[in-house]
Amino acid sequence: MGWVFMLPLVIVNLFVVLIPSVLSIVYSFTDWSGISTRARFVGLQNYTTLFRDPEFVQGLLHNILWTVFFLIVPMAMGLFGAFALSRIRRFRLLFRTLYFIPYIVASVVNASIWRSILDPDSGVGSLLHINPLGDTHLALWSVAFVNNWAWWGFLVVVFLAAMQGIDPALYEAAQMDGASPFRQFFSITLPGIRPTFAFLGLMTIIWSFLAFDYVYILTQGGPAGSTDLLSTVLYRDAFSNLQAGYSSAIGVVMALISTLVVTVYLVVRRVRKWEI
Amino acid sequence: MPSITRRQLLAGGGALAAASFLSACTPAGSAAGGGRAITIWNNLADDQQNKYFDRHFVRSYKGKYPAEFTPKASNTIDRLIQTSLAAGAGPTIIVTPGPSSFVEAYYSAGYLADLDRYADRYGWAKTFAPWALAASRVDDKLVTLPTSYETMVLYFNPETLQRLGLTAPSTREEFEDFCAEAKGKGTIPIAAGNADYRGANEWFVGVGLNHGAGPDAVYSALRGETKWTDPVFVDAIERLASYFTKGWFGGSVDRYFTNSFPTVYRQLANGDAPLMLSGTWEFSNLAPYFGKAAGNDQTWDYTAVPSLRDGVPTVIWDLAIGQSAGVNTNFPDEAAAADYLNYLTTDTANIIASVEQMSFEPPPIHLTASDFSAKADPRIVRLYSSLSAATSIGYTTWTFYPQQTETYMIDYFENVITGQMTAKEYCQGIQTRFSTERAEGRVPTAPNPAGGLA
Repeated sequence: MGWVFMLPLVIVNLFVVLIPSVLSIVYSFTDWSGISTRARFVGLQNYTTLFRDPEFVQGLLHNILWTVFFLIVPMAMGLFGAFALSRIRRFRLLFRTLYFIPYIVASVVNASIWRSILDPDSGVGSLLHINPLGDTHLALWSVAFVNNWAWWGFLVVVFLAAMQGIDPALYEAAQMDGASPFRQFFSITLPGIRPTFAFLGLMTIIWSFLAFDYVYILTQGGPAGSTDLLSTVLYRDAFSNLQAGYSSAIGVVMALISTLVVTVYLVVRRVRKWEI
Repeated sequence: MPSITRRQLLAGGGALAAASFLSACTPAGSAAGGGRAITIWNNLADDQQNKYFDRHFVRSYKGKYPAEFTPKASNTIDRLIQTSLAAGAGPTIIVTPGPSSFVEAYYSAGYLADLDRYADRYGWAKTFAPWALAASRVDDKLVTLPTSYETMVLYFNPETLQRLGLTAPSTREEFEDFCAEAKGKGTIPIAAGNADYRGANEWFVGVGLNHGAGPDAVYSALRGETKWTDPVFVDAIERLASYFTKGWFGGSVDRYFTNSFPTVYRQLANGDAPLMLSGTWEFSNLAPYFGKAAGNDQTWDYTAVPSLRDGVPTVIWDLAIGQSAGVNTNFPDEAAAADYLNYLTTDTANIIASVEQMSFEPPPIHLTASDFSAKADPRIVRLYSSLSAATSIGYTTWTFYPQQTETYMIDYFENVITGQMTAKEYCQGIQTRFSTERAEGRVPTAPNPAGGLA
């Protein structure tokens, strides 16, 4: 009878995930407008156009930069925050909650707050004499910074949970041997949470290629395309240019990138025999 | 308490899920209460306008079926309509942001009914301005009616002008002198920004072309007789871009990207900027920032957008249909829906009252000063009188340009003003997209620039 209980989930996934995914692949070989009931088969044309399309290439480059940023900055902040919290007893819950709050606040609220904070007339921008969201050289990093602010607290909580699974006797032994907290972090903590670390790294790459909300709310891909990611290019092509077939091809490429990352992770996990 | 078997629980859950799923896929015109109704989704400025629209344009309708209104946000309404139509549903009355966007695509996909058969019945040819009906045709069929029309104007704050010792410009030379002097006196010459809506770029591009190249040149290009790469357009875009890089629009290029609409309105109201270049849809948006509502004694006024090239008329009214509305072919009673559309767009007394009381933009029906009451804002009366008497008209991108060309013009103008693209390259991009869309018959019909609005 187990499958009966699975059935609702299977049905939902069938309609919400599987069928749209298959249709997206099919549409990526057509010139479907996204509105019309007709779609003409165009073979690989959408895919060959992709890599000649400066918007796609720029979006892909920005996605790679975005991924590098999120693999370094929030991961480092998350690790440091979690390690620091693991060393204290008082106020741990308070800090954990404070770090986590931005993650559960709606992105539109976070983005609106940060838009005011970064304002070049009345916010941080006026103090530093910069315009973080209006300068084409700063805009992508500014949006990434805002997104990171809402994101890193989540990593703190997950890393902290993983760190609490490490045997305390290891730290006691290290302390008795005179290991500094720095040495304890690299020799005990990091190896102890390696599967979690690898998993979050994997998810960071996947999520980075799905990033959309903060860019759309803060800059809509501008100024001059400087914050365009593949998702915003896809959205614009689908809904403003009515090129849903072409957008589907972008979506398929994004899915292929994620598939590649997951495959690499699964291979590494099998070779290293990680349990997560 | 009666017990529920596992089979009943599963069956009940399944039925609930099915009911929820099906209720989300209701066809056009299914009322919330279950009976048939004419449904309309609309994106108005605020809750006050929503309530007014509901009371005076929806509930007041006494036709075969009741009308039902659902307010939607401006930044999502088009996506919601697109996806609901593709799913075989959607509202009875399909609205679009003018004839350029989505109308041709919706009609080609079979979602918009042919309204020609109702044009004679309701006498629309006499009611509406001919240019507006012409622009609403696809494949020579009337598929939408214009529900609002607007134009670009140059707003100014009279007190700020007086303080600066300046007068509103009407020629290119006056405009450039004005901006240089206003900037020299520490103000932002023209309050502008696109942080809330990137589409604002096209307002300025349209002005640059209509007033910088001239309506004759634009008309010729829209008919495919002149290429967009012609020096007259390249020069116009280059000149417009130079105004941005000089910091005349919004203070600087980067500030232009981060100025929100409230910031822009405040700059005009508090004297930081003497001018604002925008459309007549701002009449209602400006109200909270001036006078009693804002706790100040500031006022705003407007004049025609100045000519930006020698030989271009100093008074050109850029024509724009702010919203088009058609009938969803999914609705089983097309005639009843057309009757509501007629009510929505031609009830002159109702429309005049909404303009006077809520600063609604009226449909392009024939309006003169005498149609307005003594209570009407004289600025509104002057606008529609000026438009009725217009002898030279311009072409806004959201009314007379095909959709992909319009999107390109919005997105890539930012590349021009940030120096990543030349005006010539920008115009080449316009030409490439325009020629493709023109060959596919996607360019709305444009009226003769000297034909006036009659």
